[in-house]
Amino acid sequence: MQSSSVSLENIQKDFPILQRTVRDGKPLVYLDNASTTQKPIQVINAISDYYTNHNANIHRAVYALAEEATEAYEATRDKIAKFLNIKNREEVIFVRGTTEGINLVAYAWGRQHIKEGDIIVTTEYEHHSNIVPWQLLTKEKGAKLEYIGVDDNGELLLDQLDSYLKTGKVKLVTFSQMSNVLGTISNTEEIINKCKQAGVKTLIDGAQSVPHMKVDIEKLGCDFFAFSAHKMLGPTGVGILWVRKSVLETMEPFHGGGDMIREVHKYETTWNDLPYKFEAGTPNIADVIGFSAAIDYLTKIGMDTIRKHEIDLTKYALEKMSQIKGITIYGSKDLLKRGGVISFNFHDVHPHDVATIVDRDGIAIRSGHHCAQVLMERLEVAATNRASFYIYNTTADVDKLIKSLEKVAELFKL
Amino acid sequence: MSDPIYTEIIIDEARNAQNEGILENPDISQHDANPMCGDSITLQMKVNDDTISDIKWHGNGCTICKACTSVLTQLIKGKDLTYAKNLKKEEILSELGLEHLIRQSPVRIKCALLSLKTLKLGLYTYLAKKIENSTSFDNLKEEASKLY
Repeated sequence: MQSSSVSLENIQKDFPILQRTVRDGKPLVYLDNASTTQKPIQVINAISDYYTNHNANIHRAVYALAEEATEAYEATRDKIAKFLNIKNREEVIFVRGTTEGINLVAYAWGRQHIKEGDIIVTTEYEHHSNIVPWQLLTKEKGAKLEYIGVDDNGELLLDQLDSYLKTGKVKLVTFSQMSNVLGTISNTEEIINKCKQAGVKTLIDGAQSVPHMKVDIEKLGCDFFAFSAHKMLGPTGVGILWVRKSVLETMEPFHGGGDMIREVHKYETTWNDLPYKFEAGTPNIADVIGFSAAIDYLTKIGMDTIRKHEIDLTKYALEKMSQIKGITIYGSKDLLKRGGVISFNFHDVHPHDVATIVDRDGIAIRSGHHCAQVLMERLEVAATNRASFYIYNTTADVDKLIKSLEKVAELFKL
Repeated sequence: MSDPIYTEIIIDEARNAQNEGILENPDISQHDANPMCGDSITLQMKVNDDTISDIKWHGNGCTICKACTSVLTQLIKGKDLTYAKNLKKEEILSELGLEHLIRQSPVRIKCALLSLKTLKLGLYTYLAKKIENSTSFDNLKEEASKLY
């Protein structure tokens, strides 16, 4: 299972959508993987098989279908625990995605533990989903939100963390393991260790890291970790929130409803065991089972193989892109400090114009603020273009992008 | 090299956009943004005897947004408010040969029409305030109250 014997060469044939054409017969070149990834046939079949053969609600009924559905759903929890080296399966909570996971922490942990005058620290390169929930919480509690800045290389200014920690008022440091705009890989271990020494909790947004590199939660030693299935070949609408058990036990429920209760009386209710206390209502059973197939697929290839493939592709792309007239590329040049996410701009050409021109060649890249307007302010731009890679992308895809970007430079006479 | 959207006319119009700047003490100042793409502009106008005597715009936009805003300001400068109120999207788009966006690009048409949307918002807000402040508005209210 752990071997990296699967070749990436013919991997595109597992992805039906990559066979289609767009914009008058142009083969699709999909380079918006930081936003969402395409799904292999194995994942699509798993979802279809669930609805065709096993569909039933989980955790209650005694009949055969319900047992099969429950088993497949719970087996996914075990698979995720193994995938990320998590010791206790009851620490793995199914949510809709990273956004819901972070909101769950802000609501169910934050409202219990954050008081007036406390400080929550985030960073300038966070996605809106790791900023807005903390704005809501700190405003409600009279607490303060502070930011670790980003240097010109796209890396975090960690001495700022030190000075926040010195105040003794910091209760939580929350940051992404990989930036969705710059691709910067945070010094995760260093930040967690500093926080641990200061007795401060840490939350990691793993939405960009888990799909692209090996993550070992036990080794990291953080307190909260959230990520999404759809950015790693899985379906939309499924995410994981992991919370250290000793912390989870201090948290009140997030949503009230079915499945999260032990006993309900007219005015009092007792809670179900972990993790079910945090999984109210019928969950997204089919897509959790689809996610299971995605993890199998990634495991078969091996996360180290994926990381290496993306380093190679990013190196190739950065070298070629930097030669295009009028281009500015953001973020670190050190390939070991970044993932396969490349943000760039052309002199005075707005990213939407760039994305429209390359779209006509069948190439999908993102243009806009990437839900990171705080970072856009830091970079002093309104928006950027972003190309982001995954396992099915090839140097041929990069070549097509380069050719199309050269067209932009030519049209706008850069 | 030719391109259906990025013709020389549009790129030149955007690069040399007319009426870009800030007006002191405008009678109408309207900001609007497109949350999807982040295009964001402010239109400012001076109104004398129901005529738009001056107009300026500033903000952040793509080539299509800038070119269309530039054309819009040139079309309505010196014209009366009724003309501006009735200005149609086709008039702006045809100046730049962009009529095809209406059918072909539901996403980019929003860039093209942000300035027109901002203009209409500003005009109607201005006119509504004018009616509210006028005696005719009081008369209308009195008339209306007698209806019941």
